[in-house]
Amino acid sequence: MTVSAISRPGERDRLMVKLSHVDWTFCLILTVIAGVGGMVLYSIAGGTWSPWAAKHLVLFGVCFLLMIALATVDLQIWFTLAYPIYALCLLMLVAVPLVGHATMGARRWLDLGPIRLQPSEMIKVGLVLALARFYHGLDARHARLSFRLLIPAAMIAVPAALVAHQPDLGTAILIAATGGLMMLLGGLSLRVAGGLFAALAGIVPLAFMFVLKPYQKARLLTFLNPEADRSGSGYHIIQSKIALGSGGLLGKGFGLGTQSQLNFLPEKSTDFIFASMAEEFGFLGCASVLALYAAVIFLGLRIASTAHSHFARLASSGVIVGFGICVLINGAMVMGLAPVVGVPMPLLSFGGTVMITMMAGFALVLSARVHRYSEVASGRGVLF
Amino acid sequence: MSRSPLLLDDVNERQGIFRRRAFLLGGVAGVGLAALGGRLAQLQLVESGRYRLLSEHNQFEFVLTPPPRGVIFDRDGVVLASNRPDFRLLLAKDETTDVDQVLNNLAQLVEIDEPRLRRLRAEIDAAPRRSPVALVEDMTWEEFSRVNVRAPELPGVTADMGEVRVYPFSAAFAHVVGYVAKVSAKDITKDGPNSEPILLNPGFRIGKQGLEKSYDLDLRGKPGARKIEVDVKGRVLRHDPRGDLPPTPGAPIQLTLDSDIQNRAMEVFGTDSGAAVMMDCRSGDVLCMFSAPSFDANAFVRGMSGPDYKALAEYDRKPLFNKALTATYPPGSTFKTMVALAALEKGVDPSRTYTCNKHWYWGGRPWGCDQAHGTLDMHSAIAKSCDIYFYQLALSIGPDPIAKVARAFGLGEIHDIDIPGQKPGLIPDTAYKRRAFPKDPVWHAGETPSMGIGQGYVSVNALQLCIQCARLANGKVALEPRLIHSIGGVIRPSGAQAPNLPFDPAHIAFIQSAMAAVVTSGTAAGGHAELGLGPIKMAGKTGTAQSHNYTAGSRGQHGSQGAWATRDHAWFIAFAPYDDPRYAMSVLVEHGGMGADASAPKAAQIMRVALLKDPQIRARITQPPPVPVATPDKAAAPPAPDATT
Repeated sequence: MTVSAISRPGERDRLMVKLSHVDWTFCLILTVIAGVGGMVLYSIAGGTWSPWAAKHLVLFGVCFLLMIALATVDLQIWFTLAYPIYALCLLMLVAVPLVGHATMGARRWLDLGPIRLQPSEMIKVGLVLALARFYHGLDARHARLSFRLLIPAAMIAVPAALVAHQPDLGTAILIAATGGLMMLLGGLSLRVAGGLFAALAGIVPLAFMFVLKPYQKARLLTFLNPEADRSGSGYHIIQSKIALGSGGLLGKGFGLGTQSQLNFLPEKSTDFIFASMAEEFGFLGCASVLALYAAVIFLGLRIASTAHSHFARLASSGVIVGFGICVLINGAMVMGLAPVVGVPMPLLSFGGTVMITMMAGFALVLSARVHRYSEVASGRGVLF
Repeated sequence: MSRSPLLLDDVNERQGIFRRRAFLLGGVAGVGLAALGGRLAQLQLVESGRYRLLSEHNQFEFVLTPPPRGVIFDRDGVVLASNRPDFRLLLAKDETTDVDQVLNNLAQLVEIDEPRLRRLRAEIDAAPRRSPVALVEDMTWEEFSRVNVRAPELPGVTADMGEVRVYPFSAAFAHVVGYVAKVSAKDITKDGPNSEPILLNPGFRIGKQGLEKSYDLDLRGKPGARKIEVDVKGRVLRHDPRGDLPPTPGAPIQLTLDSDIQNRAMEVFGTDSGAAVMMDCRSGDVLCMFSAPSFDANAFVRGMSGPDYKALAEYDRKPLFNKALTATYPPGSTFKTMVALAALEKGVDPSRTYTCNKHWYWGGRPWGCDQAHGTLDMHSAIAKSCDIYFYQLALSIGPDPIAKVARAFGLGEIHDIDIPGQKPGLIPDTAYKRRAFPKDPVWHAGETPSMGIGQGYVSVNALQLCIQCARLANGKVALEPRLIHSIGGVIRPSGAQAPNLPFDPAHIAFIQSAMAAVVTSGTAAGGHAELGLGPIKMAGKTGTAQSHNYTAGSRGQHGSQGAWATRDHAWFIAFAPYDDPRYAMSVLVEHGGMGADASAPKAAQIMRVALLKDPQIRARITQPPPVPVATPDKAAAPPAPDATT
């Protein structure tokens, strides 16, 4: 909070001033992580830019510029568009099973002419916006425990159920967890949250018995004992652990990862890219990248805490929560601590929609930082 | 709710809750990331060695290199079995999705007939997943390069150069050396040397017969390995020569056989059926061991079609049978040498005479001889091979002394010659009767006359008769046959390192002289056993063995006429030179009729080769050419070339 900013009304709306309020450290960290991703993608393609590295870096570059541009968009506009964006994402999610594009037995993609979108990724941002907008107008007493909370619960449950139906259990869990934690940040009673969590823990075994598809059950069982089926479902986890472990302290060196180069590592460019990186850059490389992720989470939560408007707080923290869960689940999966669910490593993994939505989310975070002193006027929205 | 502005303290409360919980979540995230870091440290620092090993197991594969099989030589170093390069095509089963398509494409490039295609499909179906199948072997260079050019149309097919066994003398050594053939499912055992993975190598062959079988492990060698880098589909990316383990070649084996003698034996037999065995009667080395008719051992290496094999197996002269070892026959009159020696050892005076009137009545039945020999002593009874003399001589000493002598001469037992399938034959005596006939354990006197002429229960194989002859010719040592001169350079002990015969040398010398008389004045006289080598003479003994029981009186022609399969077996045992025995042999002509007619000339032909190869014998045969004596008369001398000008 600078003196000049207060003394001169309207000063904060100037573009150059806004740009100077962007958290450039945060941006630098994102760029470094995406750069490492590009390096790994270059290496595992056998030292070539195609098919992944060039696309990944170009996409990041474009998204980065868009992110900076969006960061200057006034929070009020985000607030106004929150519900429409959520509704649009939900609509696309509904459309997926009807007209979607199937890969490997699951309909997750929507073909829109030249662009192929993954609505299950986009809904993450839509949900964060919608929940932030809802909580912006909710007082602490109601946020603690009230029937009004059925609205955010439905906002979370509907897309989560649709995504789970695709089927994409990993993303569904991610959506539900992000939403749940946002409700907690919004002020949900800890006792109720604990009770719900316990109830969930009781339902999970039942769900395992009756709801999960056979391949999902197999993945879970495999996670519990990967050595039982070396060439089948356990293969992913074992090969990933081999890639990690054989990297050692310093790694095998850039372009020398045999597990990824010789394709022993499955999904080496997407879900298991962390293992590809670990093999070539070793413990030092991995620990550094984890530290960068920690820095993103720390800076993100600090931005959220310093924002004046509740909308900005919840929107930016929601993005960071989603990001953090993604990192933790992917990391645990790659290291054999969690079952194999299709959750990418943010900024490292190759994947268009994930990158776009993740960067859109970071745009919200940066916007919360840039507009940290502005209050959002409620009641000017489209629906409320 | 949005219509009523929130109270300030409420705003502060919301912010407070948010900050506390954001701090809490940040802490949770920090703990989570720290846990990941800890797990990383466990995998990458603590357990790193283990995973590095697993990674190398993924990355590198060792491909077995078959060792070159040991070469087999004859005594002069002539190659009897070696290896030649083999251009072939292998099919990697797990890389090929459509086997039929690949086979059809291949059939357009290389000639593969329909039955072969069918066999290939069965072979591919039966093969284990990771082991390649040899599709085509023995391609010409043109075919090989044609396939290489069209390789993209043949996914999973790789061209490769292997080695395959070759027998330069395809048939002459087929029974002794045997042959190798492809490994069949029943060759592979759970453990032991035949459980080794090299047996699954495409085109790998193991010994199935003869010495190839009995010395398979020596000849096989130890497989080496090539270290190759593979990707997840098993495709070979790189070959790391520093990681190679060279194969240990199989041990070479030198035999005591002589390829010249062996080849001569094959020529001499022609289409006749039988066997010839020759030994050096000073060392025991087996110089010739041939079974006729023979077969092409290379056909088994390639793999035989069902009909071809059936034709061989069902031919009534039984080419697949090693008649030198695995078939036993009554020795016939060759056994009289044993009976006579037994009688001499029992103190019978060789001047004892019996009279032969062609028929002899004893025990209530007539016993015949081929002619009326008149009154004979032992010497001429051997030379003329009089049955009536030996009926009575055998009766006068009984079966046990005869059996004792026969066994001392190596009959009725298995000899250590390392070829599988040897049959011992039988030398009967009273103990044998007791043992083998519990219902009639008594030796009847009526069984002795038959034994006296090498019939009845007596049966031997051609190797045993050759050993008997070699021991007679040596006169002193109970020679053992030696077929393997050396394995991998380690020389086997000589057969002459055997105990002495427990008989009076003078008695053996008597038998030798009687055998010489067989050729000069006895059953084989008149050129049957003539060597045509001047002073070098052969001694021998004919034998004619019944191949079945004759009804009384039907054997008037000595069984040398009639249908082939009903004729007698013809034997001849011989050693030469008579005055300084070096080579002993036995010749069997199955259903050949008379020993003198069918076997003795063959023995003489084969013996000639052995004698002519022996430099000391040659020196005795080839006299220096007569040198014209130069006359001192100058006028008679031809003029010098320059004197004419």
